[in-house]
Amino acid sequence: MRAVLLLVVTLFALPVMAEPPQGYPFLAFDKAMQQARAENKLLFVYFGRYGCGYCEKTNKEAFSDKQVREAYSKNYVLAYVDSESGKRLRLPSGERVTEREVGTRYNAFVTPVFTFMTAEGKPLLRLVGVQRIEDLREADSKVQQFLKKKAKP
Amino acid sequence: MRLQIAGIVLIFTIASLSLQAEPWEFDKPIAVTSTNGKNIFHHLESAGRHNIAISANTVAIAWEDDRDGTPRIYLARKAHTKQNFSNQLKISGPGEAYEPSLVALSKNRFALAWEEESRIHLRIVTPTELGPVITLGKGEAMQPSLVSDDQQLLLVYSQRDGRYPRIWMQRMEIDGQVLKVKQACAVDAEAAKDEQLYPSVVKLAERIIVAWEDRRPGHTIIMAAQNENLTSCTFQPPQRISEEPLSSGGMPYGKGHGVSRVALAQYGAEQLLAVWADKRDFREGYDIYSADYEGASKDLFGPNFRVQDSFGGVAQQWHATVAGDQSGRLVVGWDDNRNGNADIMLSWREDDEWSDDFSVPGADGAGEQNHPTISLDSEGNLHLAWIERQTADGPTRVLYLFGQLVK
Repeated sequence: MRAVLLLVVTLFALPVMAEPPQGYPFLAFDKAMQQARAENKLLFVYFGRYGCGYCEKTNKEAFSDKQVREAYSKNYVLAYVDSESGKRLRLPSGERVTEREVGTRYNAFVTPVFTFMTAEGKPLLRLVGVQRIEDLREADSKVQQFLKKKAKP
Repeated sequence: MRLQIAGIVLIFTIASLSLQAEPWEFDKPIAVTSTNGKNIFHHLESAGRHNIAISANTVAIAWEDDRDGTPRIYLARKAHTKQNFSNQLKISGPGEAYEPSLVALSKNRFALAWEEESRIHLRIVTPTELGPVITLGKGEAMQPSLVSDDQQLLLVYSQRDGRYPRIWMQRMEIDGQVLKVKQACAVDAEAAKDEQLYPSVVKLAERIIVAWEDRRPGHTIIMAAQNENLTSCTFQPPQRISEEPLSSGGMPYGKGHGVSRVALAQYGAEQLLAVWADKRDFREGYDIYSADYEGASKDLFGPNFRVQDSFGGVAQQWHATVAGDQSGRLVVGWDDNRNGNADIMLSWREDDEWSDDFSVPGADGAGEQNHPTISLDSEGNLHLAWIERQTADGPTRVLYLFGQLVK
């Protein structure tokens, strides 16, 4: 029993290295693009980095908010990109790139960077650096208003 | 008086221009392969960025592209006297192949290592033949990088060992166009505590130095280790060579700043430089940093210096590549978007200082020019290859440029 408890504690203690926030369905960038196309949704792309302090701060202080979690999980297909990773992805164009190259193309020269983009990868709104709960709520609100306006005949 | 001032300005301008003068005069770029077009994407990627090499009077370039739908490794060669590259050779086998590392041997021969189906593959290419393919690795292996003294080939690569990938070195004997597998060892004797990735290797007289990315402190750092006994495969304990910035204290979140993709190059008789992309100034993103090899058991490498000049500022710098020659010449290249799009830039060391950054004519301007790989030949001439594309998602080309040494 003690061993099981230790294992559980260890597993929960592991993801502290500024990976995507817990409780969110983050996908690899290429999988997220496919899903966004299939579901006709926008992408919300989190450009992070292993050990990134401002990513961890944003995870703990903003993504922990229940309303943020509900809104972002419902409204967007979520993608996480480790901007230093050599993990390979295949873009809809057929091009094979690494996560690091995706970060380069979307100008993720600091982390975190959060980019709302179309399923085809066209950026709509970009948030750079630490975000507060109100920043994420406001950004979601702006993007949703934009979509409503766009949907009007 | 006005005339005097004008004269002084002119003198300063001329002096400044002569200080700025680059050591190379560049030809016009030429295409390395004519296989280009829609849905063909070329990549010049390898641990240590060794995708170009010069043997005798031949320059060779190795890359990966997916012209038939599968990523494969190709090699093109050009004699110095010829205007164009020869028809390219397919180097890899039937599987998906990535990240070829190329090294020159004597007599217009080259050795290549690449990743294919999660294993390391190697072969020698002579002017007339392709040597047999050797497959290495017991587990998932990737990111090979090569160095050679013509008798021996040294390969470093990252191989999964339990939970994490770990850096290994493999010695190989060169026998004509055949490679014979010899001793292998983990570079860090202790089991990996986190990922060890993207190694680069140099052999200096009786020593072998390996540098790599290491995530053991919870963020990425550059580490290096040295072997001082060529008959053994035992390295001294590794040392961190990318410094912790002075301003890093007091941050309650995260583990540290980011670094990315180290490359090593020998210059002079026994000197060595490491370069990498470093994000210690978090407001400016990645900058190109370097450290000189000192060789002491306490300090394998010396202090870190920023290679690029201050005009790089908040622009992005990526894909650091470095080359040196026996005379002590040393040059670093990277891609840089300070002018609004990615251009290839160089900085060379003169009198122990890095030159102002130099945008390479023919590898700058409209479109994107990135992923440079450079080499110096025995006469100090610069050979540069890079990836060019005119639109963000458009087709790519591999281009080559020759820089004739002029000073």
